[in-house]
Amino acid sequence: METRELEATAREIRRSIVATIARAKGGHMGASLSEVDILTALFFGFMRCNPSAPDDPERDRFILSKGHGSEGLYCTLAHKGYFPQAMLDDYLGHDSPLTIHPTRHAPGVEMNTGALGHGFSNAVGVALSAKKSGRRFRTFVLTGDGELQEGTNWEAAMAAANFKLGNLVAFVDNNRLQLADTVENTMRIEPLDRKFEAFGFEVLRVDGHSIAEILGALGRIDYESDRPHAIIARTVKGKGVSFMEGVPEWHHRIPTPEEAAKALEELSK
Amino acid sequence: MSACLRETQVEVYTALVKAGLNMIYLVSDSVSTSKIKPFRDAFPERVVNVGIAEQNLLGMAAGLANGGFVPVTGNAAPFLISRSNEQLKVDVSYTNSNVKVNGLHAGFSYGTDGCTHHEVNDVSVVRGLPNFEIYVPCDPRECAMITEYALVERTGPVYMSLNTGNFPNVTAEGYRFVPGKPVQLSEGRDITVVALGTAVHDALEAVRSLGASCSAEVFALSSVRPLDPAPLIASIRKTGLVLTVEQHSTHGGAGSLVAECIADNGLGARLRRLGVPEGVYTKNWSAPDNKKYFKLDAAGIAEALLGMLGSRR
Repeated sequence: METRELEATAREIRRSIVATIARAKGGHMGASLSEVDILTALFFGFMRCNPSAPDDPERDRFILSKGHGSEGLYCTLAHKGYFPQAMLDDYLGHDSPLTIHPTRHAPGVEMNTGALGHGFSNAVGVALSAKKSGRRFRTFVLTGDGELQEGTNWEAAMAAANFKLGNLVAFVDNNRLQLADTVENTMRIEPLDRKFEAFGFEVLRVDGHSIAEILGALGRIDYESDRPHAIIARTVKGKGVSFMEGVPEWHHRIPTPEEAAKALEELSK
Repeated sequence: MSACLRETQVEVYTALVKAGLNMIYLVSDSVSTSKIKPFRDAFPERVVNVGIAEQNLLGMAAGLANGGFVPVTGNAAPFLISRSNEQLKVDVSYTNSNVKVNGLHAGFSYGTDGCTHHEVNDVSVVRGLPNFEIYVPCDPRECAMITEYALVERTGPVYMSLNTGNFPNVTAEGYRFVPGKPVQLSEGRDITVVALGTAVHDALEAVRSLGASCSAEVFALSSVRPLDPAPLIASIRKTGLVLTVEQHSTHGGAGSLVAECIADNGLGARLRRLGVPEGVYTKNWSAPDNKKYFKLDAAGIAEALLGMLGSRR
C-alpha cells in the first residue's frame, strides 16, 4: 500500500472508532485515536499477518499492552478482515467478544490485556519463543507512556536485552497524557530514550502520526540483531478530532450524538 | 523415584523432553529451589532464568505459551502467589494460557525464614482464578502422574502446590491418578479424615497410632479443581464426623472445601478443621515446630481425633 492509501485507511479507522464508541457509549476515545497510525503502519504496511489464518505459528505478533486502546485495535482488525465490520456494531453487547479491554475471544488479539504493565512481559516471552524455536516472526508491543510507570515494564525491558531479542519492538505511544493529567505532572518518566538505551535497547524516535516515518523506522530495524528496539512515537491523544486533541477528559469521555457527528465530519475532510 | 516431590518432577520433565515434549522451564533465580540443575545440565537451552523478577516470570511464561512452548514455572510459592498475583490472573488464568505453575516450598516449609517465606493461602488464592486446575500431590508417585498429566494431557493453566520434605509413597503401586478424584487411603466407620496433599502422611500416622480405637476413612485431597465430591459425600454420610488437615489456611483450602461439601449436600455432619486459622500468621519457627503449634503433627491430629470421637460417644 502507498503511504497515501495507508493514511486514508487510518482515517477510516478513526471514523470507526468514533462511531463505535458513540454507539456503545463506552470505551477510550483519546487512547484509541492516539495509536491509529502506529497500528495502521503495522497491520497494513509492515507485519506478516493473514486475517484468514490468525493462528499461523509464523505470524508476526502484535500485543496491545495499553489494553484500554482496544477500540483502536478492534477497528484496525475489522478493517484488515479479522472479523466482520458488523461485529463492531455490537461492541460491548453481552454476547460480543469485543469488550472494553481486549481478550483472545476476538480474532487477532494475542493476549488479554487491560491491567497495565503486562503486555511487555508477554511480548518478551513471545519473542524469546521465536528465538528458541528458530522462527523468524517479529513481535511488536505497544505500551502507553503513562503505563511505563508500572515497574514490570522495566523487568521486561531488562529481560529483552538480556536475552538479546532483536526480534522485539516496543512502541511507546508517547502522547504525554494519562487518565487525569499529564504524565509530567503525575510521575515523570522522561528521558525515555536514555532509559531504554540504558536498558540495552536501540532507540528510535518518530512522529507517531507520520505513517511514512513509522514505516521508515520499522524498515531500518535489524531484526536479526542482538539488541531489542524501542520506537518512541510522539503522538497526540485524541488525534484527528480538534476538540479532543490533548484534552485529558477525552481519555474515556463518551461523545454526545452532536459531538460524535462533529468528530465524524472532521474526520471526513 | 526420589522421595522429594521437586526431584520427582524434574525426573518427569527429563523423560518428557526426551520423548519430544516442547517444554521450557522458567525460574526467577530459583535454580536450587526448583532442583532444576540436572534438567538444566541435560537441556541448557530449555531453562530460562529471568532473574529476581517474579512478575516477569509469569508474564514471559504466558508469552512463551503463545509461541507454542509448554512453559513450566518453578519458584517459591510465597513470591509466586503474592508478587505475581495479577500475572496469574490476567496473563495465565484470564488469557487461559497453557502455563504450568509450581508453587514450591508451600505451607511453612521454609521454617525459620519466617512469614515472608511462608505461603498458607496459595490454594485459596488460585481457587479464585478460573481456568486453573489445582493439584496438591500427596506422594512422589502421584506427583509424577499429575506432572505428566499437566504437561501432556491438559491444555490450559495448572497450579501445583508442593510441600517440602521426603515423602514415602502412600498410594498403592498400581495407583492411577484421575483428575478430580480424592485418594482414599483407608476404610473406616467412625470418622472421615480429609488431608490436603502431603498433610495426609501425618494424618495416616495419627490414625495408626490410635489403633483399634479409631476406625477412620482417610482421604488425600490431591485434586482441588476439578473435584468429584462423591467419594467424600459417601464417606461423610457414613461417619457423620469429619476432620480436615492441611498445612494451609483453614479458609479457602481443604477445610473450606469440605465445609462447602457438607453444606451444599445437606450432610449435617460435624466438622473440625486443623490448619492455620483465619487471622493469624504462622510462627517464624521451624516447620516441625509450626506443625506442632498448629496441631498438624501426628500427635496433634491424634488428639483432635480422640476429642471428636470422645464427644460422640
